[in-house]
Amino acid sequence: MLAVEYFEVECPEPVGAEYYKQITNDVLLDQNLLKVIEKLHVYIDPKIPIFVAVGILKPITTVVRVGDIANINPQEGKMTLVITEETYLASMLRILWERFGKDRVEQPDRFTVVLYNVPVAAKEIEEIVIGNPSESLNKDLIYAFRQVAPEGFRLRSERFEKGKFSFVASEDTLAENIDELVKSKFALMGETP
Amino acid sequence: MTLVPVTYKGGIYQHDIVIDLIEDLGGYVVQKHVLAQEVVLQCFVPRDDIELIREISRPIFGEVTDSPLVGTEIAVVSMSLEIHHLPHPSCDIAEYVRRIGAKSNMVSLARGPGKRITGLNDEERDVINEHDIAVYLMGNFETCIEHKMPILLRGIEVPVVVCGGPDKETLIKIVDPPVEGYVGGVGRFMRRTKEADQLDKLDEIVAEIIRVLEKKREDVAKDPLSVAPARLMNLIRERVPAILEVTSPTPLTVQMTGIRVKLPYDMFAPELRLMEIEDGITLGDIAEVAPSRMRDYILVKVLPFSETNTVI
Repeated sequence: MLAVEYFEVECPEPVGAEYYKQITNDVLLDQNLLKVIEKLHVYIDPKIPIFVAVGILKPITTVVRVGDIANINPQEGKMTLVITEETYLASMLRILWERFGKDRVEQPDRFTVVLYNVPVAAKEIEEIVIGNPSESLNKDLIYAFRQVAPEGFRLRSERFEKGKFSFVASEDTLAENIDELVKSKFALMGETP
Repeated sequence: MTLVPVTYKGGIYQHDIVIDLIEDLGGYVVQKHVLAQEVVLQCFVPRDDIELIREISRPIFGEVTDSPLVGTEIAVVSMSLEIHHLPHPSCDIAEYVRRIGAKSNMVSLARGPGKRITGLNDEERDVINEHDIAVYLMGNFETCIEHKMPILLRGIEVPVVVCGGPDKETLIKIVDPPVEGYVGGVGRFMRRTKEADQLDKLDEIVAEIIRVLEKKREDVAKDPLSVAPARLMNLIRERVPAILEVTSPTPLTVQMTGIRVKLPYDMFAPELRLMEIEDGITLGDIAEVAPSRMRDYILVKVLPFSETNTVI
């Protein structure tokens, strides 16, 4: 957990805390989420029972453009895009179809997209935004914390806003003073929710 | 003649020599796996003849190793089939006991997770009771294990080994009613068991299973079975040709006190009951042929000498 500035797991059972620190680390590492988390505090009390995870995210400002995933090769009457990274290929195709029409965009094989007679320069194509990694981040984090939390804790309340998140889960109905608990856990990291 | 469980590993070339030898010596091949150019035989062989088998299989590069779990069927009870428990640790443990000869089945509970909401239904209970031993894989918290074990052990009659996050002493203290075996420090984890210390833990689980099963073997030996399940397996294979058509990896699963026959109960149970073993004694005379709760299989439970007055 080198990339995370603050990472603590709090639990009345010290052995359990140790295991959950390992589980949290493994899951976040597996899901490639450690690099987006700046601070993280996890609190588990199996007696109540309750699981709380609060944290601060690192700001993500980068967007993915066509130029990031493809090399553009302009030719007479057409432009060949050689794809180097497939992750955003589907969304790129969708955006190109919308903009230029399906008859001008062709994908002859997995790593090649050809644009025919498009009225824009190669430079402009390179700048088209095709993805925003921060959009799916909240979903990914919720998925990860569902794996970290004990499986029986199925009643959940999640909040993700302004780079801060809280994830509360329990086996029983969540108590009304959950916000205060979340606030106190944020305070331990020197933050406010 | 004492039969001991061993595993033979060797090349496919001339491996039938080894099979013939084992059968001639009075042993039984329980499982045979052919993996590309390699053959793995799980078998029972007479203790005094192990050296002979080693010697004969040396020119064909065969290896004979002890496999104390051959001929046992183990239920690895996982709290659910969610990603929380699979593939680690449930599959890791189920696979590890397979390597030393056991036939392990994973039993996942419909309402395993949680503390207050946990439960065990009658089907799960019966399926677990059809095995030789059950290995319960619990979580990391003492509070939860203490709370749910009485519920999860309700109606379980087979020996149980409990694995959980807290150390062994704590498990012994909190598990009520007491069970036969405990392994501490193996709770829920989300990484593959490949480091030396994690493999040591798996070895500890295997050692505990072996210890508990040895005790069960001793109990069985006090009142011996009317027929050895491994022998029964060979007989069924000879007399009920339909079993050869079954595509399951182990159409006949040998247990310590019986055998699971993977044929439909309604169609084959009468035939099995009437199957003659020796001198006019039929299987129905010395064993109980019952429907299994696992699919529509047949479970043959061999009766002890004290009930049948016969040992074949």
